[in-house]
Amino acid sequence: MREIVVVSGKGGTGKTSLSAAFSYLEGDNAIVCDCDVDAANMHLLLDASFSNQRDFFSGEVALIDKELCTNCGKCADVCRFDAISIADGQHVVDPISCEGCHYCSKVCKKDAIEMKTQKAGDIYTSDIKNETKMVHAKLGFGAENSGKLVAKVKQDAKLLALQKNKAYVITDGSPGIGCPVISSLSGANLVVLVTEATISGLHDLERVIKLVKTFNLKAVCIINKYDLNEEMTNSIEKFLKTEEIDVVGKLPYDETFTKALAMAQTIVEYDSNSKLAINIKNSWEKIKESVS
Amino acid sequence: MKIVLTAKGEDWSCKMDERFGRAEIFVCYNEETNELSSISNIGVDTMEHGAGLQTAQKVLDLSPDVIITGNGAGNKALAILQKSNVKVYIGAGNMTLKEAYEAYKNNKLQLQF
Repeated sequence: MREIVVVSGKGGTGKTSLSAAFSYLEGDNAIVCDCDVDAANMHLLLDASFSNQRDFFSGEVALIDKELCTNCGKCADVCRFDAISIADGQHVVDPISCEGCHYCSKVCKKDAIEMKTQKAGDIYTSDIKNETKMVHAKLGFGAENSGKLVAKVKQDAKLLALQKNKAYVITDGSPGIGCPVISSLSGANLVVLVTEATISGLHDLERVIKLVKTFNLKAVCIINKYDLNEEMTNSIEKFLKTEEIDVVGKLPYDETFTKALAMAQTIVEYDSNSKLAINIKNSWEKIKESVS
Repeated sequence: MKIVLTAKGEDWSCKMDERFGRAEIFVCYNEETNELSSISNIGVDTMEHGAGLQTAQKVLDLSPDVIITGNGAGNKALAILQKSNVKVYIGAGNMTLKEAYEAYKNNKLQLQF
C-alpha cells in the first residue's frame, strides 16, 4: 500500500479537483482520504454517503460548577480570552471564547472549574461513487482543523486500505505549511505538489517544498493554469529543477474545471475524452510510476 | 550507546513508526546492558498542535545518544534536538525495529543532522 499526499502550499490551485480526479481514475484500487478538514469539499465531488459516523474530540473547555463557585472572580481576572463573564450574579464560561488553557481552573481555590473535553466534529467512512471508500471529517462550529484530526483521519484510511488490500491511499492535504499539513505529510510515500503560474503560487510552492524536504519525502509537481503566465511557469520549472522535483503535468487554464464542479463531477468523468482529462490521466500514470 | 526508536510496538519484531512527533511508542535500547524498554507516547495523541515539541522533550528525557525514525523530526522538534548531542537517523519508516537497528549498525541510514 502506497500513500500519495496531494498538497499545494497555496489554496485555490486545483488541489482538491485533481485529488478527486485521481481518486475517480483509480476507483476501488484506492482509499480516499480528505485531510483538508477546514474546507472539506471532496465529498461533494465524490458523492460521499456520510456513513459510519464517529465522534471526534479535541480541545477542552472550562466549566464552572455553580454549587462550588463562590463568585470570587479570580477566574475572570486571569482569563486572557475574556471568556468568563457574569450572568445573573454567577460567573459563567463562554465555550466559544474559551481556549482551554486551564489557567482559571488552576487559580480556582474552590476547585469549582472543571476542564471538559469538547466534541469538535465527526469523522466518517463513506461509500463514494466510484465503488470505494473515503475517510473524511466535518468540524463543528468554531472548531479548527489540527494535526490531531488529520492524524486520526489518515490512520483510519490507512487501516482500511491495509484491511482491504488496496494499492493506494490518496490523501487530499490542506493548504499552507502549518500543523495539519505537517501531519498530512507524515508517512507519505509520495507528495504531489499542485501549484499555479502566479507569484503566490511560486512563493507558496517554495515554502511547502522546504517543509517536504525537512521530512526527506519524494515529491513531484503539477503546474496548473500554466498558460496564465508562461514567464512565471518558466520560473517555477527552473526552481523545480534546482530542487530536483519532476513536473508530472502542466495543465492549461480551463473552465471545464468550474463546469465539472457545478455538476458535482470530477473533471475526468465530466468529459473523459477531453484534452484536459487525458492530460490528467497522463499525470496520474506518471505519479503512479514515481511511487512504485 | 542508548538508542531510541520510534515504534508501533514494544519488541524487535514490531514495525517502526515513520512519524516522530506523533509516534505511538518509543523503544529504548541500551547497547551496554542489552536492555530493551519502551515508553508510550500517549498524551500526544490528544494534542491538537505542537506534538513535535512535546515529543522532543520526552525523548531527550531518556537521554539517548541516537534516535532512529522514519521521515525525521519537523523543524521545531529539530531545533530542540539540535541543542543536545543526540544524532538523528532517518529512513527506517518501513522497517521492523530489528531491521532498523541493523541498518543503523551497517551505516545504511541517513543522518538527519
